[in-house]
Amino acid sequence: MITLPPVNWLSLLPSLILTVAGILVLFWDLWMKEEERPLLAWLGLTGLVLTGVVSFGLLGRNESAFNGMLALDSYALFFNLIFCLAAGMTVLMSIDYLETTDIRPGEYYALILFATVGMVLMAAATDLIVIFLGLETMSMAVYVLAGIWRQRLQSNEAALKYFLLGAFASGFFLYGVALVYGATGSVQLGKVAAYVSEYGSSPLLLIGVALLIVGFGFKVAAAPFHVWAPDVYEGAPTTVTAFMAVGVKAAAFAAFARVFLHTLGPIHAQWQGILWILAALTMTVGNVTALVQTNIKRMLAYSSIAHAGYLLVAMVAGQDLGGAALMYYLVAYGLMNLGAFAVVLAVGRKGEPNEEFSDYAGLGFRYPALGMAMTLFMLSLTGVPPLVGFIGKFYIFSAAVKAGYVWLAVIGVLNSAVSAYYYIRVVVNMYMYEGEKVPEFLSARPALATAIILAAVGTVLMGVFPSASIALARASFLSLG
Amino acid sequence: MGALIFYLLAALTIGSALIVALSRNIVYSAFSLLGTFMGVAGLYALLAADFVAVIQILVYVGGILVLIIFAVMLTHRIDDVAVSNRSVGRLPAALIVGAVGVIMSVGVVGARWAQKADVQAAPTTYGIGDAFLGPYILPFEFASVVLLVVLIGAVVVSRKEIREETGS
Amino acid sequence: MVPISYHLILSGILFTIGVMGVLLRRNTIIIFMAVELMLNAVNLSFVAFARQLGSMDGQLIVFFVMSVAAAEAAVGLAIILSVFRNRETVNADELNLMRW
Repeated sequence: MITLPPVNWLSLLPSLILTVAGILVLFWDLWMKEEERPLLAWLGLTGLVLTGVVSFGLLGRNESAFNGMLALDSYALFFNLIFCLAAGMTVLMSIDYLETTDIRPGEYYALILFATVGMVLMAAATDLIVIFLGLETMSMAVYVLAGIWRQRLQSNEAALKYFLLGAFASGFFLYGVALVYGATGSVQLGKVAAYVSEYGSSPLLLIGVALLIVGFGFKVAAAPFHVWAPDVYEGAPTTVTAFMAVGVKAAAFAAFARVFLHTLGPIHAQWQGILWILAALTMTVGNVTALVQTNIKRMLAYSSIAHAGYLLVAMVAGQDLGGAALMYYLVAYGLMNLGAFAVVLAVGRKGEPNEEFSDYAGLGFRYPALGMAMTLFMLSLTGVPPLVGFIGKFYIFSAAVKAGYVWLAVIGVLNSAVSAYYYIRVVVNMYMYEGEKVPEFLSARPALATAIILAAVGTVLMGVFPSASIALARASFLSLG
Repeated sequence: MGALIFYLLAALTIGSALIVALSRNIVYSAFSLLGTFMGVAGLYALLAADFVAVIQILVYVGGILVLIIFAVMLTHRIDDVAVSNRSVGRLPAALIVGAVGVIMSVGVVGARWAQKADVQAAPTTYGIGDAFLGPYILPFEFASVVLLVVLIGAVVVSRKEIREETGS
Repeated sequence: MVPISYHLILSGILFTIGVMGVLLRRNTIIIFMAVELMLNAVNLSFVAFARQLGSMDGQLIVFFVMSVAAAEAAVGLAIILSVFRNRETVNADELNLMRW
């Protein structure tokens, strides 16, 4: 007779809801009529909203489950909210988009939900192997999602490149885990932390930590591990790109920050230098390369690399200020980026993606709402007050200055100034030039319009009233202990 | 005796791995992978991990290698070989690889080893099964989610497009 | 009995060969095989560390790595084959619809 160990079901609840929703989507897809397929999106959305609500309700708890492999803490739950936001917005954006492609909704929504399960697990895991399993669940689903528009060659190619570099990165991550295991005798973050605070570092541990940085660096698309990002972001279906840029990045940072800021906090002097260089390099490479792009998805890809750089600045700053800034900025980045991708979708139409800068010419006057929304997101990405992007950057750079990384903050601010050029270029294109592109009216695509409105409202409100959300981010980060 | 077996297995592993990574003929590469997998399985046995060794053969040789050989056969065209195995960027790659190698050797050599008393090798299967349903229940169950995702994913990627056929 | 560090050095060499394979080769299937070499190296060090530390954890982790590796093989080769079907190439340099 096998006796099962005690199970803390509450800690599993978010991932359970999502898994069940994913399975339901798959099953329902088998029986439903062709024209009812869009209903699957609403089922998926229900699961995501439910998970978000449950996570919000559980905020404030602080428990450890499964022999210290999983945590139910505000940190994980806060990230759950980000994942549900990213996945939910992606689903909203996909409803009309899938009609214009040959993507089958059943598997598409199921894979989005399963990818979110992986993310939820990554944020909650307190064991390197569970982090790895979450990472792989997420990655595997996203590899397939990137290539899911099968008749589009770029989509195929994106899936292949993402897969090969993702698997390569997993190898580094795992070797890092192996060396950490060898050096500390455990892969559980609690035990690793106990070892590190007692004995400090050893060469073996440091090499393991360096390899973990390489593995995470690939996933968050930090330079010099970013080479896959532009191609994959450009080639993947736009909704999947939005999901990758926001969800995958947030999940990778969730695990990255938990391992480094918390578990390896006692030896931060040893890894901060590497992250400093990575942060400076990532910001600069992302922003400078974005300057010369002519395709808006590619520009947003480089922009997301640059933003990974800002987030790394928050990691370098560390402590509760840096941690809270990181979490707040992920929400901010998610809102404005999802909004920007939603506008990109709105400008495109069936068989005519309209992804070049020149396609945006004159849109501002002919479609004022769309133009306004895009202007808002671009200004927020640049970091113009009082929008959310400004507040987020302000918190990150002030955390860096307080922690004594003045030069890094200076580099970040300079980079922000550079980024204004290419973000504003989109706005200039929309208002200063004549064009004749005719996007489908948003009134014909209510779900997409809702997504844009939600993102826009969030971008403004969180920027004007940041205190509640920054307090929540701070409290959540402090729950790490 | 143990040392001799180790060196033989090490030679088999490394030699095959080099062929995998460097051979100009993809079929040689695929079949050399067998040598590496078997060599590593032997090393597991040497390290008293009997169950892992058996599973290594089952999963890697029986599963992954067969899949890889299928892929090679399905994509292989003989006139393709010389061109498609062209390698580029040798110098930067060699530099990176050299740096990685040096750093890792330094780490391994410089590590302080808490050498335990030599544990007597014992069958591990019972303990492994027990641990999977005990402390490791979460990753064990979660691995099935990974497999579910992969199952769906592989079907999605490799399915023939139905709409295309009915549409035209 | 060979010292454990020999196994670790061997694992390091194997990992390095895998990294080399990924960086040097342009055939996607060979890149994939090189990744498998890296994962084998990882597993070898897990088992060696498990022996060293006298704990079972290392061996258990190997099973998770293996199941993920098998899963990766299924998805990865499916992707490679679908690209091949569409493009008739498995050479990463020829996949240049977008700048690489």
